[in-house]
Amino acid sequence: MEGLGISLSTLIVQIVNFIILAVILTFLLYKPVLKMLDERPRKIRESLEEAQKIKDQAAQAEEGFKLKLEAASREGQEVISKAMRTGEEVRQKALQEAKRESQLLVEKARVEIQRERVETANELKKEFADLAVVAAEKIIGKSLDKETHRQIIDNVLEESSSLKKK
Amino acid sequence: MSNKKVGCGCIGCSIPLVVFITILVVIISLSVFGFMKGGLANRDNIDKAFINELDIKLPAEVIFNIGPLPITNTIITTWISMAILILIAFFFTRKPKLILGKMQNVMEMIIEWFFNFCKDVAGDQNARRFFPVVMTIFLLVIVNSLTNLIPGYNSISVPTTEGSVHLLRGANTDINTALSLSIISFVCVTYWGLQSQKFGFFKQFINVGRLAKGGKKLFTGKAKSALGDIGFGIIDVFVGFLELLSYLIRLISFTFRLFGNMLGGEILVLILFYLLVFVGFGGIQVIYIFEMLVGVIQGLIFGGLTLVFATLAVTPHEEEEHS
Repeated sequence: MEGLGISLSTLIVQIVNFIILAVILTFLLYKPVLKMLDERPRKIRESLEEAQKIKDQAAQAEEGFKLKLEAASREGQEVISKAMRTGEEVRQKALQEAKRESQLLVEKARVEIQRERVETANELKKEFADLAVVAAEKIIGKSLDKETHRQIIDNVLEESSSLKKK
Repeated sequence: MSNKKVGCGCIGCSIPLVVFITILVVIISLSVFGFMKGGLANRDNIDKAFINELDIKLPAEVIFNIGPLPITNTIITTWISMAILILIAFFFTRKPKLILGKMQNVMEMIIEWFFNFCKDVAGDQNARRFFPVVMTIFLLVIVNSLTNLIPGYNSISVPTTEGSVHLLRGANTDINTALSLSIISFVCVTYWGLQSQKFGFFKQFINVGRLAKGGKKLFTGKAKSALGDIGFGIIDVFVGFLELLSYLIRLISFTFRLFGNMLGGEILVLILFYLLVFVGFGGIQVIYIFEMLVGVIQGLIFGGLTLVFATLAVTPHEEEEHS
């Protein structure tokens, strides 16, 4: 025992040393590290889940976006077709309006012309009657009662015009 | 042109190279003379003649006394090892982050690796229980043996009342260190065994169940089966005695495995330095690196065996037989 160097005091000191070291390292090193080791897989799993969630959300958002885009495009298409329809309608209406207006104008012109013609004819008749009276006066050489003559001529003309009409 | 470039490169290289070679030479010379005047060798012989006679001193030398406690050089080296470990632990935990720096990474890798090893052997629950003791044994043995291999580490001498002695000496080369570690291992294993199995722990040593059953059968009259039981019962008792013996002998085997390996390694290196002419530096370096490996392996063995015995101690004996 002496030769090997076993001594009780050194032995005790070394045992105490070891216990101190074990205690210090337990609190300073092992516990934090083991805690971290336990924590890390949880953290990793959590962050992975989080990432998955965000990915899902993004996919969902994209899906929604696509739907909305489709709806908007459809709506736009509708608006355009509606506008086209309205435009067509307006055009038709305008066309008809124009037609009617022109017809009206033509009608009016015709009436005017008719009226003008009648007036001209009347005037012509009156002129003609006067002329005829003057001519008759000249021929007969005597003045006729103007009023009476007129009456007669008017009657003649009346007759002739009615004859002509027949 | 290219030649000049190469030359420039060489000169550029050569300054760190010179520094490196210088450091290497210093380390080698330190290791040669350090070991020749090293912890185990008797100083007087070296002083008198270069090679006279190897006189290995096993007991550690007392440097000073604290009250009645003599402080030997191996205790001082143990304190240094402890300080190194505690400092590393302190710097490791100063900023424990989830995303690690390099140093933290290495420390954590070692701990994680060893913890997984514990888990593989003992299961998660028990691994957490055993881990502090086993890991501390592992670390202390490794740091003790590696610091011992620092060139010049154990060639510093200080004057004391008993003449000049070595200030530092590898803690593992003192039998007291090895013995203290094995006592701790032994006590812890016994404690864990008792904690888990209560008095069932002793059943593996005092195995009289079958003998008693045989005796009972003898009284009730089934002589034939009684004889068989008694026969096996006696064997059981003998096996239990062997178990007890091997359990106690573990204390000694643990001690001398570590002590012998470390002391033998140091003596081997010491002798090789005396045989420098025959083996050359290469041979010494091979052994030197081998000694580093031995230190780590001894730590692993000491920790691992403690772990295995602890696992055996907490596992109920009967259950093991059935499975």
